Amino acid sequence: MRRLSIAVIAVGLGSVMGASLASAQRTLELPEMEFFVTSRGMDHGANLGGLVGADGHCQMLAETVGAGYKTWRAYLSTQARGGQPAINARDRIGTGPWHNARGAVISADQNELHGDTLAQAQLGSNLYKRSALNERGEVVNGVRDNPNQHDILTGSQLDGRAFTDDADHTCNNWTSEAEGSAQVGHSDRIGGGNTSWNSAHGSRGCSQRDLINTGGAGYFYCFAID
Amino acid sequence: MVHWRLFGKMGAGMQKFWLIGGAMALSVSASSYLALASQAEEQHEMTFFVTSEAIGDGANFGGLEGADAHCQMLASAAGAGGKTWHAYLSTQPYDGQSAINARDRIGEGPWYNVNGTMIARDNAHLHGDTLDLARLGNNVTKITNLNEKGEIIYGFGDFPDPMDDYWWYVQTTPFTNRHEIITGSQPNGMSYVETDIDHTCRNWTSNAAGTCGQNVCRNGIGPMAQVGMSDRNGGGNGSWNSAHPTGGCGQDDLVRTHGHGFFYCFAID
Repeated sequence: MRRLSIAVIAVGLGSVMGASLASAQRTLELPEMEFFVTSRGMDHGANLGGLVGADGHCQMLAETVGAGYKTWRAYLSTQARGGQPAINARDRIGTGPWHNARGAVISADQNELHGDTLAQAQLGSNLYKRSALNERGEVVNGVRDNPNQHDILTGSQLDGRAFTDDADHTCNNWTSEAEGSAQVGHSDRIGGGNTSWNSAHGSRGCSQRDLINTGGAGYFYCFAID
Repeated sequence: MVHWRLFGKMGAGMQKFWLIGGAMALSVSASSYLALASQAEEQHEMTFFVTSEAIGDGANFGGLEGADAHCQMLASAAGAGGKTWHAYLSTQPYDGQSAINARDRIGEGPWYNVNGTMIARDNAHLHGDTLDLARLGNNVTKITNLNEKGEIIYGFGDFPDPMDDYWWYVQTTPFTNRHEIITGSQPNGMSYVETDIDHTCRNWTSNAAGTCGQNVCRNGIGPMAQVGMSDRNGGGNGSWNSAHPTGGCGQDDLVRTHGHGFFYCFAID
């Protein structure tokens, strides 16, 4: 990707008459990263140590690329359990806009990200395979890549909110790596008969093997809230 | 096996690339839906494809009639000429004509690609007529969005090539990004009405060059054609049918933003 960027800049320099070096260099000043897909899972399936553990994983990965000065949150919902109220993933991630590691805007705001109006939902957001990058700026493997790792844990409904039924959609609020199921989206927006980034289908189970077997690796989305 | 037919159409290098990916997809059980697609292949005839060839005169298709005939011709060449094919294109209310909505031209569905994979159950599913349907999305994806020969339409990130926005060059290779599919439609599949802005290159009769020279031009005036993304990547939204307008109506204008003048074809019977 870096080689490509340089090539693009070189072509730009060659073909745009009168473009100064300075103006070309300005294109390198990208917006700060506020969104990424985790480049690795936590190796215990959907047991992320709850939201706290998942947030810590986001923060740790962000730190590896120099983005640890922001506050990072995992895009995960939890269900109402044991007297604790449900938590909606969408309410955890700030207000946007969110940019990926290459400076491309993923969505301007919550309404665009979740398609809160019919027109917005029909159009879709700027989150797709080539923009849903990990913190290193790499495309996440999807359908027809080896291995396919496009299942992204969310535990959320299409609108970004927690499920309200009795079934488990969050692997017991991200503490189980055995029984249960986790709702996933697809970072490449392919599969499951739909194009949802955040709520395509449930996982077969909660173990790392279960996640891998359905085309995942226990990855999740991370957003900076500040 | 549906997938091997697809790979057979590709060059040797690509064949290897996709064979590896395809083999992995098949061995990993994530492809339960691929297995479903294979079952479905025996049951469903093709009722949807992306044109494999451009007409080549920009967005001048000879009107809807010319575009429909192009669909029919390509379908016939693929052995599907027994059906009635329509191009997924809208027209605007020019010169006393009434607007025509692309979604009203394509029958009721369900529609299947050449491999028998359903891309949408009906118009409501295809266009996301309710909030839930729209958020979930249809099954129009890079791997289902095949042409009548079963080939993938290469898109964003495939074979990055600095020459891929020149028509003379892209005709020499199949391996460039050509994901912009002409629709002239809004995301809901309807015509642009109540606007003076041309989104249909004068109802598919204009090959007029854009007004922005060698630059990508989306000046909001026209002439231009609204396009969707066959790979659902790019354009700021990934819409399959209404991502953005082109910079003009000439063949060079279409290629400049990574389209060839392809459009979607649907069988209505």
